[in-house]
Formats: sequence, structure tokens, C-alpha cells
Amino acid sequence: MKNILVCVKAVPSAAQVQVDGEYRLKRDGVSLQWNIADEAALEAALELKDRDGSVTVLTMGPPKLETPLKELLARGADRAALITDRLLAGADTRATAMALQAAAKKLGAFDLTLCGRRAIDGETGQVPGELAAALELPCVSNVERIEQLDSRLKLYRRLEDGILTLEVTGRAVVSICEYSYTLRLPGILSMRRAKTKQVELYSASDLQLEPGNCGLKGSLTKVTAMESRFPGLRKGPKEEDPKAGAEMLLAMIREVQP
Amino acid sequence: MTQEILVLCPFGLDEGLLSQAVSLSDSDVRVLVPEGQQGRAVRFGPGRIHILHRADIADEADFARWLAKKIRSWGSRIVLAPATIPMRNIMPMLAWALKAGLTADCTALTMSGDDLIQTRPAFGNSLMASIRAMSEIQMATVRPGTFRAEEAAQGTVAIIPERYTPGAQRVKAIDFSEFPQGKPLSQAQIIIAGGMGVGSREGFQKLEKLAARLGAGLGASRTAVDTGFAPYRCQVGMTGVTVCPKLYIAVGISGAVQHLAGMSGSDKVIAINSDPKAPIFGYADYGIVGDWEDIIDTLLNQEEL
Repeated sequence: MKNILVCVKAVPSAAQVQVDGEYRLKRDGVSLQWNIADEAALEAALELKDRDGSVTVLTMGPPKLETPLKELLARGADRAALITDRLLAGADTRATAMALQAAAKKLGAFDLTLCGRRAIDGETGQVPGELAAALELPCVSNVERIEQLDSRLKLYRRLEDGILTLEVTGRAVVSICEYSYTLRLPGILSMRRAKTKQVELYSASDLQLEPGNCGLKGSLTKVTAMESRFPGLRKGPKEEDPKAGAEMLLAMIREVQP
Repeated sequence: MTQEILVLCPFGLDEGLLSQAVSLSDSDVRVLVPEGQQGRAVRFGPGRIHILHRADIADEADFARWLAKKIRSWGSRIVLAPATIPMRNIMPMLAWALKAGLTADCTALTMSGDDLIQTRPAFGNSLMASIRAMSEIQMATVRPGTFRAEEAAQGTVAIIPERYTPGAQRVKAIDFSEFPQGKPLSQAQIIIAGGMGVGSREGFQKLEKLAARLGAGLGASRTAVDTGFAPYRCQVGMTGVTVCPKLYIAVGISGAVQHLAGMSGSDKVIAINSDPKAPIFGYADYGIVGDWEDIIDTLLNQEEL
């Protein structure tokens, strides 16, 4: 593969999820990390790229993402681009895909576009499909492994009941499962190379995005209410006698069995 | 008369979803099902059943384009599909083509006038968001198993055949290898899940044996998966599968927030742990303090389960 684009998202660090007194999730001031499935997508891209190929990472978010993007350059990406503009705040999956496709076109022609299969904060998994539709490309989701066969790609897609093997000819968008690839650590060479590189910044107008297609305005879904539902305490009785415990367990199993 | 609702089940009928759509729209429902499933669909009271005759769908983008054309000709304004892996790939492509707002993996649906109010969990299960589509066409995928299927009175039903012939062949299916475990975790009625307390791969084999005898699914905590006790597809929690079985048996799981987020929707939770202070007990309907192996062996020794 010559040119590969990897779309990444910064999400609140899962290890830092905390709740307040009313079991509400605290999101302010939590640190961000790259979504784990997106890191897997980057590693897949690094393994697939030719010696003279190039991997570009692309994200959308606040200017402070410039530093974490440099980290991805140190991990082996060749180019990093950040779409950042207050106009883009509050984007739903459609408005996000709209911005990403505009940037993808601006950044060049890519043989393959990879995304994580879903982000751990929103968990919609819709951006890859919407991005593919915007770029008029086929989209294969939930892929665990990619192999290159001459000009085609062999994809192993994890479905609910098994693994489907597919072959793709031509350009495509592929979404990658978390844990299918482990992102490599920064190497000395790539760290040195990363220091000489700049993160490319794009505003909405750089991408010729109309304000009506951006952020909250460009979104076709609207969150009308948000309510915390931290797992409620059940505090059932505790049994210390194994025999009585096993009997109770058996009774509860029988209750739900058809 | 409320809005017509279209339910897309091209890979297999989701009875609960069809049933819910019928109750939301006064039976003004269209459903697309594969050949051979019309008999099942009729029982839940849709007005029109479109029977899909098709070859295998490998290029889902091509199929989404075909669906977009169909939906425009039907004039549907509300489009629902089960949140299975293929439909969660197809619906975004379809939404893009139809310029429709799409909500993923909803766990509740209500109507407010002509608007569909979609409720879905976010960040594990810890937040519930209510979402409206601001577009002419409103779309949502709905978590399988969310709604109970209830048969409805049958009026006149129109049966309409549809034929999809793949156009572009950019994606080709080569092979399919089924998981030995069969049933996906998200659809299991009973889940037996193990954590670090299970201690070894052999321990997990014991849980798997019990799961097989009960027709249950095998789950695991993230640390157990990271350690290699169980494969990733068993992982329950924020970075794994979200499940809502009738019975969740947590074996040797301490109860990290990320794990709780993936299983707190279960009807009943039973925790087995040797540490009486394990947080999981707070989130269980019934706790057993002790050696998990004693309990599981007792069950395995039962002649009938």
C-alpha cells in the first residue's frame, strides 16, 4: 500500500472514569487518550504500508491535540493532520464524517482508509460507514486482520457468530477491532523524524466546509436529554455456605431457563 | 394515523423490533425480511411484508445504495434496523445517502407526534441520552433483545417480493468460519463470566463446560482476556461487549467500573468471589462468598441442568 489514511479520535481516558456523589460520570478535566481501536488501525496501517509508502493520521478536535498527534508521528506515522475549528464543535457522526471526507480529499488520494470500529465514549461506530458513503467507497466493518494479496486486500471480519473472510479490490474504508493490533512503541529513528515534522492544521474554511454543514448546525441528530445511569447498587444478600449458595444458584438458573 | 415505520431485517427477522414498531405506529409498518421468514413476520402484525430474494451481500455499500432507492420509492420517514454488525455498517451508509439523522444501538424508542425519540446508552452504560433526528427521514439501529416480541392482531397484509442483484463487486466473500461457541454473547439469556479469580485457562474451560451444558454464553473481564484466559470476543465491559442477559453469573470478578458498565443491564446478577469485600457484591442480587470451584463443581455434578 502506498498511501494510507487513519482516522483517530481522542477520548476520555477510561482508566480515569470517576463518578460523583450522584453516580454521575465526571468528564471535566479528565485526560484524553487515543481511542484504543484507532491505535489498532494505525498499527495495521504501519504494517501494510510499503517501504516508500506513507501513513497519514487525521483527527478532529481542539488545538491541544497537536502534542498527542506528534506522539503518533513518533510511533511511526508519516504525516499528521488536525481539523480544528470552533465551528465544528458539537458535531454528530454525520457532521464528523463531512469534515473528515473534506480533509481526506484535501490530503490526497488514499489507497486505503482505516478507522477504529467504534470509540469508547460515543460507541456509535457510525463514522466509518458515513465517511465511506461520502467518499463513495465500499466499507467493511469489524475487521480483525488485513493481509495484502498483490493488488487486493484479504480482510478477516468478526461477525456475531464467526469470522467472514473477504477480498477487496480497489480503494475502501475498513474499520478495525480494538485489540486486533497493538500499536508499536516510538522508535529512536521515528522519534527523531517526528521532531522535524509539523502537524498540519485545517480550519473549516481551509476545507471549504459550509458553516451549515459544520458542528452542531450540520448535525442531523440532537441530544435532547442526558441522564446518568451509573449501575445502581443492588446489594443482594451474601451467602457463605457453599452448599446453600450452589442450591440458590441452581434455583435461579432454573427460573430463567426456558 | 401516526407515521409509517419501516423495519429493515434483510439478514433475519428481529421479532422484538418488529413488534415494537407495530405498537409505536398503529400497525402501519413495513418490514423487509429474507425469503422464508414472511410466515414469522405476519404474526406480529405488519401491514406490508417485503420479501427479499438475494444473493449473498458482500459489498454492503452496494446493498445500501439499493436500499436507499427502495426507501425513496416507498416514501418511508422512519427507518429502523437491528443493531447487528452488518446493519450497523449498512445503516450509516444508508443514512448518508438519505440525508438522515441516525442513532446507534438504541435501547428504547417512543413517539412524540411525528418524531421518534431514541434513547441510547453512552460511555459504557453510565449515561442515557435521548436523541431526536432533525431530518425528514429519522433512522435508528436498535440493540437486539431490547424488546419483547408480542403477537398482534393480523389485518390485511400485503406481500411484496423484492430482488437485489449485486452491482459492483468490489468486495467478495471468500469464506466463513463459525465460532465453536455458536450463539453470540449479546443474545445469550444466561452468561457465565470469569475474572482473574478463576486463575487459569483450565479454570475457564470449566466455566465453558458449564456454559455449554446450560446453553449459556461465556464472558470474561478485561484482565482475564489480557492474561489470555479467554478470547477477546468473550470480553464484557466498556472495551468489549455490552450484554443484558436474564442471568449474569460473575465468577471471580472483582467488579471494576468498566466491567460493570458492560453488564449492569442484566436482569439478575449473581456474584461468586472469595473476597467478601469485592465491589461486585454491591452490584449483585445474590452473592456467594467462597471458592468458585466448589460452587461450579457442585453444579457440574448435577445430573440434570
